[in-house]
Amino acid sequence: MLELERVSRHFGGVRAVDGLDLKVRDGEIVGLIGPNGSGKSTTVNLVTGLFSLTSGQIRFRGQDIAPLPTHMRLQGGIARTFQNIRLFGQLTVWQNLWVAQNSPADRAKRGFFSRWLGGQSGVRDEIVSLLEFSGLAHKQDELASNLAFGEQRRLELARAMATKPKLLLLDEPAAGMNSEEIGQLRERILKLRERGLTILLVEHVMELVMGVTDRIAVLNFGQKIAEGTPAEIQKDAAVRKAYLGGDAAAAEGGS
Amino acid sequence: MLVDLIQNTLDGLTAGAAYALLAIGFTLIFGVLRRINLSYGPAIMLGCYAATWFHVQFQVGLLVLAALTLAATVLAGAYVERLCFAPHRDRSAIAAMVASFAIWMQLEELATLVLPNHLYAFPALYEGGPLSLGPFTLRAEALVMFAVTVLACLALQRLLYRSRFGLSVRAVIDQPVAARLVGINLPWVFVRVFAVASALGAVAGYLIVASAGQVTPMLGMWSTLKGMLAMMLGGLGSLPGAIVGGLALGLIEAHSQWFFGPQVRDLTAYFLLFALLALRPSGLWTTPRHG
Repeated sequence: MLELERVSRHFGGVRAVDGLDLKVRDGEIVGLIGPNGSGKSTTVNLVTGLFSLTSGQIRFRGQDIAPLPTHMRLQGGIARTFQNIRLFGQLTVWQNLWVAQNSPADRAKRGFFSRWLGGQSGVRDEIVSLLEFSGLAHKQDELASNLAFGEQRRLELARAMATKPKLLLLDEPAAGMNSEEIGQLRERILKLRERGLTILLVEHVMELVMGVTDRIAVLNFGQKIAEGTPAEIQKDAAVRKAYLGGDAAAAEGGS
Repeated sequence: MLVDLIQNTLDGLTAGAAYALLAIGFTLIFGVLRRINLSYGPAIMLGCYAATWFHVQFQVGLLVLAALTLAATVLAGAYVERLCFAPHRDRSAIAAMVASFAIWMQLEELATLVLPNHLYAFPALYEGGPLSLGPFTLRAEALVMFAVTVLACLALQRLLYRSRFGLSVRAVIDQPVAARLVGINLPWVFVRVFAVASALGAVAGYLIVASAGQVTPMLGMWSTLKGMLAMMLGGLGSLPGAIVGGLALGLIEAHSQWFFGPQVRDLTAYFLLFALLALRPSGLWTTPRHG
């Protein structure tokens, strides 16, 4: 699904990401962890095209996506959520999902001819089902900025889903959540996988990462220092050193 | 005295309606791009000149003239966007502003090249004299101006709050990065915003030129100044503010002209703008905004 090959991104002298190899196969949930400033968010920004590559290659479904602008990558099937929530605050919950429906299939439905043939109704049904999936059906006409924190996170996930992605990048979706909300989030992520999504999960909260991923890659100073199943990673000496030596708080699940 | 006051208020409101349209156009562009487009007025001027050229050559009718102004201004607006805002989108705001100044000069040169006289007559909407309502007089153009402005505001409100395009525009204003990441095609949104803003400007420009009965290359600078002044009076980036700012500017001008004479009219407006920026930098109309 997604292949990063010797991917680097330097900011001046800082090697935010340095020669990273990473593979995410179809239907997998891969975790990307590491101390603060280890290059996780930069990696997400490279995949979505917010940053350009210094060197290396990113392939999505076999195609080199480095030259594609962000909105094209999105239409190709990559979606993400943000660590710091970025909803369209002045739009309602419903409208947040509506403006996100930019997949080629949805564009075709909105084409001149299908508009007159009732193609729009499918678009509505999808919003309804996304609202139900996120438990936001009763809030559909609320302004996004008026939602509670947990609801905003759910809406962000729903908005990412509205773009009909094949690959979903979740950037610290559990930040600021309590244990119960994390449990619900885990259920939701697993349900998404059942729907055929591939997920790259960037996360500090070990409770979530360990419980939901098939494989974990660990970054430190922009380089991959370990990769394996959750059980293997928990035992890995280099990982323990990076976390405890670099930023002890991160290992405790803080941000 | 009271009659004069009311007459001035009427005149101020109708002039203000045109300022409001210009300010809305400015505000749309500023809201979406966070850039000041100095060439906004000159694009309107070029649109009016294109229509004038047709009028001089072929003596076309009023409706054709209005349509031509609209089409040419939208084209000129899109040209300005492509040439000076698209290339500088992720770069310095100053570069885009300087580029828009350069295009201003270019558009003025172009206009004077095609129509070299300083002044051209432009057909009025209504040939009869001003209408009288008791002691007050009102020009037909002023009535049309006011009605058209109200209609344009209502249409814009519908566009921005109901249509998918309008919601995308507001999404971009609110969260440009997230908007890109849900697949909204930003360049396409920008071009269309410029087209809408230019169309509003064209409506204002046409009505102004038609009620003045003449068109000069100064129209470009005049529109940019009035639009920017009204936008800043109302508060940068707020659409209701642009309307309030436009009407306020019209009223201030009309009343100060009566009190202090026509020479001091513009000076009063500039002075008030400085006072406002010092005392209430967010403008007359402030809506809660975030991001």
